[in-house]
Amino acid sequence: MEVKRRGRLEIIADILRSVQDKGGRIKPTHLLYKSNLSHTKLKEYLETLVEKGMIEEQVVKGKKTIIMKEEGHKFLLEFDRIKEFSDSFGL
Amino acid sequence: MVFENVPYGPRSYVFSPEWFYGFDSIIELIAIIVSILLVYYSYKCFKLTKENKYLYFSTAFLSITLAFTAKIIGTLAIYKPTITRTSIGSTIHEVFTDLTPYSINAIALIIHFFFMLLGFMILFLIISKLSWKNKKVIVLLAYFVLIATWISIIHYQLFYATTFVLFLLITYSYYQNYRETKNEKARFVTIAFGILLVSQAFFVFVIYSRIIYVLAELIQLLGFVYLLIPFILIFKKKPKNRGL
Repeated sequence: MEVKRRGRLEIIADILRSVQDKGGRIKPTHLLYKSNLSHTKLKEYLETLVEKGMIEEQVVKGKKTIIMKEEGHKFLLEFDRIKEFSDSFGL
Repeated sequence: MVFENVPYGPRSYVFSPEWFYGFDSIIELIAIIVSILLVYYSYKCFKLTKENKYLYFSTAFLSITLAFTAKIIGTLAIYKPTITRTSIGSTIHEVFTDLTPYSINAIALIIHFFFMLLGFMILFLIISKLSWKNKKVIVLLAYFVLIATWISIIHYQLFYATTFVLFLLITYSYYQNYRETKNEKARFVTIAFGILLVSQAFFVFVIYSRIIYVLAELIQLLGFVYLLIPFILIFKKKPKNRGL
């Protein structure tokens, strides 16, 4: 069976979807488990997403939480549209 | 039916009955609008993802847009010859003195043939998942497009016969895509190309009856409307729950 490697955009979409599926906020340890990435790689991606304004990191009751922002929702919607377009037109 | 045979040169064809003059141009204008939407969105996808498949898809529909634009210009030259008496028309006529409505129609048809064949050939390459890295295949198919355009100038039926074969292959590939994805929008795309395939079959026989041309145009309109449905459905999609 052919195993397809995820591209950069797919990884970003998977991270954001994990946050979205958890109601817009998730603990880093849970995200690490969900994203199927190494700790270093996930840290790199999270820094990029914070930079792009898609997520923010907050400390609630002394625990770090990742929160999805409007830009993240917008990205995910556009990503899903592109995927639908690609599937529909056989691209 | 207007015919003007230029020995060894391009031919001018108009198959529409007089009462249908202009309606076919409106149908082609709708096809242009659908094609431009696909060009715009797939180019946007390319800019976002940097994946070449979107750029090729955009190029295919840009070619189809140019093809329909050429056909509209060519048929309007016959339907509305008074256009040559406007200030722009007469200026063009002063520069190109040999230009008649029939020669405009003939040149426009060559452009239409070429861009239609090119557009659907690119689409066939994309949907068939053929490798763009194989330059020999690309050169061979480009040669095939040029030869098909050349022969179509002499026998217009060969143009529609060629597009029929291309549509047959494209429709089959889209059917396979639908079976793999089980996606509702992919089903609409398959139906759209199936309808366009039927329209090409009608176009092959337009020489025998003007009403066949009207039917072919109407079926083509239905095909492009169906092509628009999946596009609308994609954009109707509402964002998921936003959580907090």
